[in-house]
Amino acid sequence: MTDRTLTVEQLIHEDGPVLLTATGELDHHTAPQLTRTLADAPLSPGAPLVIDLSGLTYCDSTGITVLVTTYHRARAAGSSLKLAGLSDSLTRVFQIVGLDQVLSLYPTTEAALAAARH
Amino acid sequence: MTSQASAADPPPGRGAGRVPDPDVEAGRLSAVRRYDILDTPPDGAFDRIAALAGRLFDVPVATVTIVDSDRIWFKATHGLEGVKEIGRDPGLCGSAILRDDALVIPDTLHDPVAADNPLVAGEMGVRFYAAAPITTPEGHRLGTVNILDTKPRSITEDDIATLSDLAAIVMDEMELRLSALNALREEQERRTAESLHAERERARAEAERAAREQAEKDKAAIAAFASTLQRTLLPPALPVVPGLELACHYRTASVHDVGGDFYDVFPVDADRWAFFLGDVCGKGPEAATVTALARHTLRAAAQIDPDPVTVLSTLNTVLLTDVAAGSRFCTALFGLLTPHEGGDFTVTVASGGHPSAYHVRPDEGGSVWVKAVRPKGGMLIGAFPEAHFAESTFRLAHGEGLFLYTDGLTEARTAQGAMLGEDGLTGFLHQRTGSLTATALVDDTVTLLDALPEGVGDDVALLTLSVPDFESVPEAGVAATAHTTATPEHFGQE
Repeated sequence: MTDRTLTVEQLIHEDGPVLLTATGELDHHTAPQLTRTLADAPLSPGAPLVIDLSGLTYCDSTGITVLVTTYHRARAAGSSLKLAGLSDSLTRVFQIVGLDQVLSLYPTTEAALAAARH
Repeated sequence: MTSQASAADPPPGRGAGRVPDPDVEAGRLSAVRRYDILDTPPDGAFDRIAALAGRLFDVPVATVTIVDSDRIWFKATHGLEGVKEIGRDPGLCGSAILRDDALVIPDTLHDPVAADNPLVAGEMGVRFYAAAPITTPEGHRLGTVNILDTKPRSITEDDIATLSDLAAIVMDEMELRLSALNALREEQERRTAESLHAERERARAEAERAAREQAEKDKAAIAAFASTLQRTLLPPALPVVPGLELACHYRTASVHDVGGDFYDVFPVDADRWAFFLGDVCGKGPEAATVTALARHTLRAAAQIDPDPVTVLSTLNTVLLTDVAAGSRFCTALFGLLTPHEGGDFTVTVASGGHPSAYHVRPDEGGSVWVKAVRPKGGMLIGAFPEAHFAESTFRLAHGEGLFLYTDGLTEARTAQGAMLGEDGLTGFLHQRTGSLTATALVDDTVTLLDALPEGVGDDVALLTLSVPDFESVPEAGVAATAHTTATPEHFGQE
């Protein structure tokens, strides 16, 4: 049995971007944890939201739902959502559901933060 | 001992005035309505109480009356023929209803209020009147039990107590009658619900029976959902499609988290058929609501325009606008089947963010040629207003099959602990040696799932279609089977 947990850390950069790091498995059981952190994350035009998913080993449909909901919330607040560091398998999942056509994906957190500051 | 109490001489502090208190009267009338007794046909129990009162007190007339807003209605009479109701004039019953205790008028001609009552002043010439109120447990006076005579008389305290007891018996009868009425109403509602239920059950094909029985076994899970919702969650039985073999399988990972997998096959017009298979993101009752909404929308949209991309676009719009859907999305494959003279089918499949279907046919080397049906660019349905969908068209020939699944299958973990994955699934299909009929494809996949040590972590829905080999087509040219399995794994049964 693999260890199916999720840890979420939040870091607010002084110059604007909010960085969240989600590590582990994002599924039906762990999604509420990310949802709670995201609900508290400040979203404003000057604060793009970057989520580092490089440590995410699994993401099911509930996880996808959380990310899509966050995308809509960020847009409504005039902010933006940038996802960074998707693994090949996660990229594959995103391609299947067509999220790669809508969400801004970056290979690394550094690239996402750079784009956020731009 | 004689009681001298009368309407003209009310005991102090009893509130027995001539005019009813509006609040008391409103409560009283609502109680009268609740017992639902006004204008009911004669009833043996009440008739016997009136007759008993007549005999006990040796009076010519005894009645059980219920007082309505503007009339006194006779529920039972003894010695008084042909009178159904009288006006609510003061003096006799009209005054008795305003008192908590019994009203006794030994001689009506000596009572200034009673003397003017039509029963006294009129043809009947009532001289003696006594009444005890019929009082509900909440204290509402519904009416009275009355004894009347044409000559003055006096009665004892014991007699008054007896009259009050008779009124209490009337109240008991009315309580029993009300309970019976309520029980009857509940029974009728239950029967209506049952017959409605039975009708729906009949409409459901035999293939679903097993699934329903399983669902009914877990009462706790069912209690979490409205029964209607529960019924919509069960996978439909597949129809018989001429020239095509169909099979499906549905299993939930847990009966407590009803998921959102759905599929269906249905006719679009005289020749063409449509099929779909999808998965609502998330679990639980809200996901289930979307499952039902998606299924109905796909069917309805296909009747208007069966073009698969158009159908998925319609579902996208509906999920975005329907409040019941909330922020719920789904993925789905929607296909349109057009038969050809030779028995082949043209299949057009649109994808809305769903894993590929697999087109399979026997290859020359004795294994299976597997091709992913992967329309480019189809997106999650119900998540974005600007979502677009893509379709691809191919020919499903004799001996070929089409395999659709939800990701519970590819996310099931193998003995090595890794997910089966798309590669694992295509490998499994490629290495199959059995026939490529729809039934065999489903059966073998179910065997594969059952062999997994951890079972499945998510719901799995499978839908397969196959065009029979030339040699296996019966002379009538129709070969069709529908096979449904629904296995809540919770019970560990197959």
